[in-house]
Amino acid sequence: MSQVFAQVLDAVDLETFLICDSEEEGKRLILKMLRDFGFTDVDTVFIQFEGPGVRVRARGYVHKPGDRYGWLKIKGEE
Amino acid sequence: MKKKVLLSPIDPVHDIGLKMIKRGLEEAGHEAFLLPPDLKPEEIIQEGIDKQVDIILLSRTLGYGVAELLGKFVDLAEATGLRDRVKIGIGGMAIRPELAAELGFDGGFGPGTTVEEAIAFVEGKKYNPKAHFVKKEKKDMTATYDYTYKHPEIGKLLEQIVDGILEWAKDKSSPGIERAHLREEMIDLRAKDGASQELKKLQEEYASYSDDMIANFYRKGEIISKLRRFTGEEYRAFKDFVQRSRKNLQTPSILQHVEGQPIVWVQYGTGCPFMDIAHIKVSEAWGADGVVHFDPSWAARTEGYMEGFLTHEENGSVITPENLFEIKNALQDSTLWQVRAHRGLNVTETVVLAGLCGADLTKINIAYGSMAAGTDPERLTVDSIEAIKYAAKFNLPYDLPTNEELAGVPAHKAFAGMLISTALGIRLGARPILQPLFAYSPEVMINGRMEDNYVDFNAAKIYALRSIINAPIWPGAPIGFLTQTEDRVQSSVTTGLHAGLAASLGVDAISIASSDEAYSGGPIAAPSRCDTLRSVGEVFRNLGQTRIQSSAKAKSWSDELVLGIEQVLKAVLKKPTFVQALYDGVLGSKEEGAYPGRNGAGTIFTRNMV
Repeated sequence: MSQVFAQVLDAVDLETFLICDSEEEGKRLILKMLRDFGFTDVDTVFIQFEGPGVRVRARGYVHKPGDRYGWLKIKGEE
Repeated sequence: MKKKVLLSPIDPVHDIGLKMIKRGLEEAGHEAFLLPPDLKPEEIIQEGIDKQVDIILLSRTLGYGVAELLGKFVDLAEATGLRDRVKIGIGGMAIRPELAAELGFDGGFGPGTTVEEAIAFVEGKKYNPKAHFVKKEKKDMTATYDYTYKHPEIGKLLEQIVDGILEWAKDKSSPGIERAHLREEMIDLRAKDGASQELKKLQEEYASYSDDMIANFYRKGEIISKLRRFTGEEYRAFKDFVQRSRKNLQTPSILQHVEGQPIVWVQYGTGCPFMDIAHIKVSEAWGADGVVHFDPSWAARTEGYMEGFLTHEENGSVITPENLFEIKNALQDSTLWQVRAHRGLNVTETVVLAGLCGADLTKINIAYGSMAAGTDPERLTVDSIEAIKYAAKFNLPYDLPTNEELAGVPAHKAFAGMLISTALGIRLGARPILQPLFAYSPEVMINGRMEDNYVDFNAAKIYALRSIINAPIWPGAPIGFLTQTEDRVQSSVTTGLHAGLAASLGVDAISIASSDEAYSGGPIAAPSRCDTLRSVGEVFRNLGQTRIQSSAKAKSWSDELVLGIEQVLKAVLKKPTFVQALYDGVLGSKEEGAYPGRNGAGTIFTRNMV
């Protein structure tokens, strides 16, 4: 993952509209997209299929509570 | 000294900013002339000469050809001699201060410039942005209430019930109460030098009133396997993070647009105090006035608390003295802080820790905690009485959540339970805060009371409570419960609209959810907190002092609620004790979805046996 990810407080949400034929297809596509971006802990927070595709909000967790957070470093010492 | 100021767009379109600045200048005692749009530079300069102004303020919205046009203006001003005696500033969407300086203007004001900043330029003063911010301060929600009963009959019933509760409980204690007393002594001793032997003795006594896994912490230094201690490096970095966040957040946002709009609370409890604090700093920056500490449900079922900086990966953040102290120390001075003590086996000790760690409020409600949150009614009644006494001692107001409604208990029964704990608090010298739900509860779904709108039944609740007692009201928790979905926009809008209703009803505070609160697949993410805080701020701005109007149904439902409350209180008095009324379902039956909790059953003892 990119070094910038270390600065993500907890998660990255990706909102978009995917052209597809079903909610299942939309979900598969968006999760693949997040994995391709380098996220490992991924899920859809919200997905709605209508007409041409899905309106979707997907999430890749970078830091979950209890982890060792990349942003928790003393400025200048990283 | 009074100045003559010429304001002119150097644009084919008008700039609303200049009109606002004109008004500001006139209010500040200056003379201001606003020219129409689309004048040539020569015409503007001629006006400046004719009117003998001291200052010219131009605005430019369009970016196309801006450098050439403004350069030409400055050249002309110099050629006519105007430049030598008139100060010239330029602002607007197309302007950056660097560009203005490069072209020879005395001041350049980009997007986001305030009227105050323009006035400071006119008056030749250094602009101090902080001078115009209203300082955010903590508010005491209970300050203006005297807790008098407006419904004498209900007041009388409540007083009788309280008499019975206090008589029944007078010689009773529990492991939780004993630990609370010990905790108070332990924290007191920790501040003293050379008290380690005495502290060890108290810790051993504390362990004797605790579950094995807590006792093992004090006797063997073992922590529960799901928890871990922070490393020294993490702790140092955390302190650095807090310090930087404080420095960067010198003026937290204010959500309320007009005086009297409710205080806005958010709830945290990610499982990790450091993550909590990061979320708190985000919430403070986006305008939250208060934060509520959520502890884990497993800890509420456990007798006793550990010590140290502890984190884990489950919902709810572990209560220890160190965790609470660190959270408190990280808060902005203006942020209200509540530590919940409404259910579980550590209710009394939680209030002690809340008080000693500097919390502003706590949360106690016997009926909810025992009927819908798993704690044995007898145990919770005994512990809550002592907790309320501590709340009074530490000057901690407490709110009374009625979330048993979410299990299916009708509002009038939940309110009867809430009012009993309210009356108990008043008797014991504490300051309770009523917390009705603003929710699409099972009761309203079954009875169709929100088929048309989400306004009337929620309004009815407030009208009913106000007709019974003069007490503060803090709808929660969070507002709009069961109206929110995983859809970010829908969730933010419904939260905002419920906040607008709360503002219209003039309540004292609200608790709000994040826009991903309905998502159950993982922890809440910080930007989702920003969503709903922004939404509430926008609705407060939109409404100002106007009001959302409820229909006539709200009044009739309010009357029904009051009648129902009175009947329930009478039914409570027919039982041998208040606790028996809880067991027997008077304040919420099994058929309605309320079950007397079992945690802590059989642990009460009489004081003379201690």
